[in-house]
Parts: sequence; structure tokens; C-alpha cells
Amino acid sequence: MYELRKVDKKFPGVHALKAVDFKVNRGEIVGLVGENGAGKSTLMKVIYGAYQPDGGTITIDGTAVRFQNPRQAMEHGIGMVFQEQSLITNLTVMENIFLGYEAQFVKFGVIDWKAMAEAARRQLAKVKLDINPATITSELSFAQRQLIELAKVLTLEERIDGDLVILLDEPTSVLAKEEVELLFKLVRELTNRASFIFVSHRMDEVLDLSDRIYVMKDGEVVDVVDHDAAEVDAIQHKMVGRDVDKEYYREQKQQPYGDEVLVSFDTVSAGNRYKDISFDLHRGEVLCLVGTEGSGREAILRTIFGLQTPTSGQVTIKGQPISSFNARASVDLGVGYVPRERKVEGIVAGMNVYENMTLSQMQNYSNAGVLRTGEEKSLARTWIERLAIKTPNENKDCGGLSGGNQQKVVLAKWRSGGSDIILLDHPTRGLDIGAKEDVYEMIRAMCDDGAGIILVADTLEEAIGLSHTILVVKDGEFQKRFDGRPGDKPSLYDLVHHMI
Amino acid sequence: MTLETLKPYLPWITLFVLAGIVGAANPAFFNPVGLVALVADITPLFIMALGMTFAIYIGGIDLSVQQMANLVTVIATVYLAQFGIGVAFVCVIVGFLFGAISGFITTRLYVPSFVSTLAMGFVALSGAKFLSGERALSMDATLRDQSFGWMFGNTAGVPHELIIAGVLLFIAWFLQKRTTFGRALKAVGSGELAAVASGLNVDRIKILAFAISGMFAAIAGLMFSVKLSGGDANLANGFLLLAIVAVLVGGTPLTGGVGGVVNTVIGTLIVVVIRAGMVYLEIDATQQQMVFGIVLIAAIALTIDRSKLRGVVK
Repeated sequence: MYELRKVDKKFPGVHALKAVDFKVNRGEIVGLVGENGAGKSTLMKVIYGAYQPDGGTITIDGTAVRFQNPRQAMEHGIGMVFQEQSLITNLTVMENIFLGYEAQFVKFGVIDWKAMAEAARRQLAKVKLDINPATITSELSFAQRQLIELAKVLTLEERIDGDLVILLDEPTSVLAKEEVELLFKLVRELTNRASFIFVSHRMDEVLDLSDRIYVMKDGEVVDVVDHDAAEVDAIQHKMVGRDVDKEYYREQKQQPYGDEVLVSFDTVSAGNRYKDISFDLHRGEVLCLVGTEGSGREAILRTIFGLQTPTSGQVTIKGQPISSFNARASVDLGVGYVPRERKVEGIVAGMNVYENMTLSQMQNYSNAGVLRTGEEKSLARTWIERLAIKTPNENKDCGGLSGGNQQKVVLAKWRSGGSDIILLDHPTRGLDIGAKEDVYEMIRAMCDDGAGIILVADTLEEAIGLSHTILVVKDGEFQKRFDGRPGDKPSLYDLVHHMI
Repeated sequence: MTLETLKPYLPWITLFVLAGIVGAANPAFFNPVGLVALVADITPLFIMALGMTFAIYIGGIDLSVQQMANLVTVIATVYLAQFGIGVAFVCVIVGFLFGAISGFITTRLYVPSFVSTLAMGFVALSGAKFLSGERALSMDATLRDQSFGWMFGNTAGVPHELIIAGVLLFIAWFLQKRTTFGRALKAVGSGELAAVASGLNVDRIKILAFAISGMFAAIAGLMFSVKLSGGDANLANGFLLLAIVAVLVGGTPLTGGVGGVVNTVIGTLIVVVIRAGMVYLEIDATQQQMVFGIVLIAAIALTIDRSKLRGVVK
């Protein structure tokens, strides 16, 4: 019923979708898998109307459609359940469910809250959620909010005539095993009301739930597999272009870490961001902070970098107790920060490669404030070669480099300045597989050089694969510590269990 | 060729096209003596715009410059007798401090610069009114010539105003292009979050940028005061709009990070040409601000980097 034919989408420098054929039948659950950068999110955005394709056709029951925006797509029965939840947390559940569609409850210019609550209860029943519709959304658990998103999308049923297609974007990424099972059961039941497109990087789940699976790589659909014929290894091989195993995270290069403590937290708290956190980071250690969004991971990184002042406890960096927190002091102690938002926090777009590399260490390349640009450039050339950064030269605007090369510039900035406490916040987010592997290589290389690394990983698999030590935090509080020796790593659900 | 690739050249194209039009309508416009005089005449505005460039380059704006100049005309006139040439030092310090306070309010109290500088502008205006007793004051001609006679006149056919402007331009250019401070300004203007994440003291850099803007406004006010041989709280009125226009049509967008002081030279020249054109077309002085208002909107619309606004404009 819903079909894409030869859909193309180009961005400057990227051919994101190449003649993609994609089809969803009535009541079907279609899986969509692919590495980051394979084109999954672009395809989804085309489906729910956030992007307009450059070529190809979209048809619903044989009729060609073209959506200018997500609202038009919704009016054709296409709804999206967002991974980064789209609910407004300080509104009530019912206000969220009917956000933008309150008009149906307006009587004499005011909203009939009783009618809205009644209607909301009907929607909540569809997802088997028994809560008061007047609850403020922020009071609910992550799993409950996910269901409310689903309920919100299901309101389309009453508003439109045709069939529903619902996109589920990584719905299980922070759910416990039991919650995942409940969600899957619900989705299967709902197939009498709607078709689903299920996007996830957890292969076993996709195989479990989907009737058919689309495998994407480099903007193309490289395979479509039926549920019965699907095998994890074969699909992964297609996705990545080769086998994925322990090699991927360079586990064989993981060496035991040293004795010297680089960063020490002793029952450190920062307001309501995190509470009573203690750990030691050693030379050569990859320490991973695991938790959900807003669990306090980032705030801990920001404290070490001097951007978040703790309210109690003692932070010690290289044996020096820290009393005043500022980024300059942290940088001078050897702390380097690779932020999550690479394009706006990592590199300065509009500045070239050498300007970016010396930004944190201009004092080393200047006399009385006057820059020695010649030396800056030769530094940049050295690191461009050492990290194999793909750029025509050191004068190229960093904003024009690919994500992986931008990340290399950020890492070069810190390593060339001698930083040995490296804070990595989602260092592989949005990178293609080759670039990810480069980052993993660099992490191992930095450890060999005696650096200590604190990592907030993009996926749990990455966290497990890369780290010596895993600390699970939840709502700002320490939950559990795992040691991850090569060949003896904790499992995914060991972690998830403590995260939520 | 798209508008994007054309963008860096737009100020030049605008300048030459406008000059061509004005010159075609009135060939006398290209008379070198007249041109030099026109340009020299606008020096105080240029200096003000030069300072403003620093505020806009970091993505802020300084709306206090005109009032700053007003205040300085009064200070210069009132204290000339007492301090002689030393009054220049007083003016520059006052300008620097006012700018620094605006910067402090912006960075430490999180008041957007368009509000903090507007408010500081009123403080300066009020100071000017108080100090002048709301009267137009004039300088003693002898004292003026003793201390500041060197500001005007000609050496080898070059008006001294232009030499002063050239020196200040060089200083501003050197600061922007050759120093760690200039590099930091660019980082703050292009990607403030990345500057923070590189350990730069962004607050201090911003405060300095506003201080420089205030300082240049003070120099502009001093020059204007000497030129007109007096001071009052409204003397520099009309400068603010032109200074903003000069920076923006020069190609330094409100979002900051690109352009710079050399662009402001082009921008100021565009202002000179538009002004000359309006005089030739006999556009009434009361309507000239309207023209510049429209030019300003067009310049902002053309130069602003919408990707930095992240879809939200309030």
C-alpha cells in the first residue's frame, strides 16, 4: 500500500539515498537496518515528510503523494515515534497526545478538559497504559513516555480515512528486556490497526519483530530479507560489507591500564546533575560512563573540563586538588574535550584546519600574542599526515570536511598539545563505519601513549567493546561498576538492567 | 554562479556598481580632489564603524557607539582647557571602560548585547547631558589648535584624517589577523561553543571586543568634536545607523565570524557613495535615514547566516 520507487536524495557532498525502493504492506512490520550514515534516517525523514526527495515517486494505494512537511504526511496516515522523544515534558499527558489538534475539544472558545481527558483515556487504552491523562509527562518513566508517543501517533486513526504507517525509531534503545517484550507484543497486536516500520541497530530485535527486513548501506537498499530467511550474521555482513566481531572494537589491542591515577572523583556532587560520584581514571584506561540521556554523564565530563562546578566532594587531577573550575585550568592540566556536537562544539566551521588545531594551545604558537602562523601550519601538516586526515591542505575550512575528518582534527588538536586526559562524548556519532574504526584505533593508540580516556559512547555495544571499566549512572547516581577485560565483557542487558 | 559563491564579492560589486551609477549621473563625482574630501569627511564615522566591527564580528552588536561619541564630544570640550592633549587619553579610557561594562553585562549577567549596549548608551547620553548642562559647548580655538591641530590639514596632499584612519585601520587589522586575540574573536564569532570547548576564556574575549568598540567610538567622538570645535549631547546623532550599515554592507554579517575590518572600509565607502548619490538626487536630509534603513534591512537579509540561527528568531 505504501511504496517508494527509485527515491533519490542528495545533500551537498553526500548522495544520501540512491534510487531506493521501499514498500510496506497493510498490517506488516518492516525492519530497517543499516550502520549510522547508511541513509536510514534520511529515508525515514523522506517517509514522514521532513525531507522532500529529489527524484522518484511515493505512492499510497497507487496514488502519488508529495509531502511538504510532516503534518501533511500525518494527514496521509504516516506517523513517527521519535527516538529522542518529542513530548513536551512540562505538559500533561493529554495535552501532549492532542498537541496541535486541540480544536476538536474547544467549546465556546475554551477547551473542554473533561472531553480531552476522556479521549486521551481511549488513546491510552490502545497502548494498554493505565495512567491519569492529567499526569505531567515528566513524572513518567522513559518506557511510559514511549508508549504515549505511540498513543499520540495512533490518534491519527480517528482523524484520517486511510491506513496508518507508523515509524518506530530505535524504540528499544533504553528499555529493559521485559519492557522490550511488552512493546513488541503491543506492536504485534496493533498490526490490525497499522503497519510499522521498525528501525533499530539491535539486530536480534529486528529479526524477532519484523516480517521483512530492509538492509541499507551507503544510501542503497542492499538486501530485502524475509523473516524466515533472516540470519544475524548474514545481515550484519551486508550492512558493514564484512564480518563484525571483536576486531571491530580493537579488543585485541586493549592493554591493562597503569597504576598512576589521572583523575579522581571523591563523592563529588553537582546540584541535581549528579550525586556522590567516585571513581579513579588511570593512565591507559578507557572508562565508560553509561546511562540514559540526562543521567548525569555529560555533567561529569563537563566538571572535569571545568565547565560545571561541583557543589561538594573533591576532584583531583594529576594529584592536584581542584578548587576553581574553569576550562583554561583544565586544559593546562592536560584535559582535552571532544564534545558530542562535533559541528558546533568540536570544530569551528569557518575556521581552517590549522586554526582549529591550535585553538586550544595558541600560547604555544605566539610571541606576546602575535601568532607564528608558519609553525601552526607545519604542525597541521604533521598531524594531517599522521592521522591521514583527508583535506586538500591545512588552509581548508573545517566545516567542509567529512565528519570523520572533522573528528580527527578535534583529536589532533588535543593530542598535538600533549593532552593525556581525553574526554570523549559520543565520538563516533554520525560517522560512517570506516571513520568509526579510525576513532577506535585512535582510542587504543592514545591509551598506548599513556592517556586516560573517559568515554560516553554512542551505543552500548561500543561502550562494552572499548572500555576497561564501565560505570553505570542513573538519575545522577552511581549504580554499578563493571570491569571489561577482553573476552570477559559484560552483556548488553547487564547494563540496561541498571540504567533504567 | 550562485548567490552563495558570489557573497564574498557582493560588497565590492555593490561599491563599484553604485559608484558607476552615481558617476554616470554626475561625472564630477570622480574628481579626485572632491573624492578625497568626501572620504576624509566621513573619517569619524569610519572609525566608529571600525570599532563596531569587533562587536559584530563576535556575533554581538554595540548600539551605544553614537551616545558614546556624544559623551566624548562633551568630555573633550569641557576638559580640554584642563588636560590639553591629555583629554584624548581620558576620552579613550572612558570609551574603553563603557564598552567593557557593556561586555561585562552581556557575558556575566546574560543580557543580550543589543540591550546591554542600548542601556549603556542611555547612561552615556545622560552623562553627556549632565556634563554639558544640555547646552552646546564650544572649544577655545587656540587651545584646540594647540592640542589637536595636527588632526586636520594636509601632508603631501593627503588629509591627516585619512592618515589617522589608516593607522587605526592597520591596528585593527593587525589585531584581527595576526594576534591570538583576533583568532579567538573569530572562533567566538564562528562557533562560540567550540571556542568554549577548546578552553578559551570566551567571556574575557567578548568583554575586550566591546571595550575596543567603545574605545573606537570615543576616538570617533573626539575627532568629531575637534572638527566641529565643540561638544553637545546630540552632536553625533545620526552616526549609529550609518555605522551599522557600513559594517553590514561591508560583509560582516550580524551572525559574526566572517568579514572583518577590511570589509568595513568597503562598507564605509559604499555609505559615502550612497550619500553622495542622494545629495546629487536632491533627496532631502529628512529622507536619507529612510534610505539607509532600507539598505540596512537589505544588507542584513543578504548577509546573515541562517544556518547559525537554528530556525529560531525572536
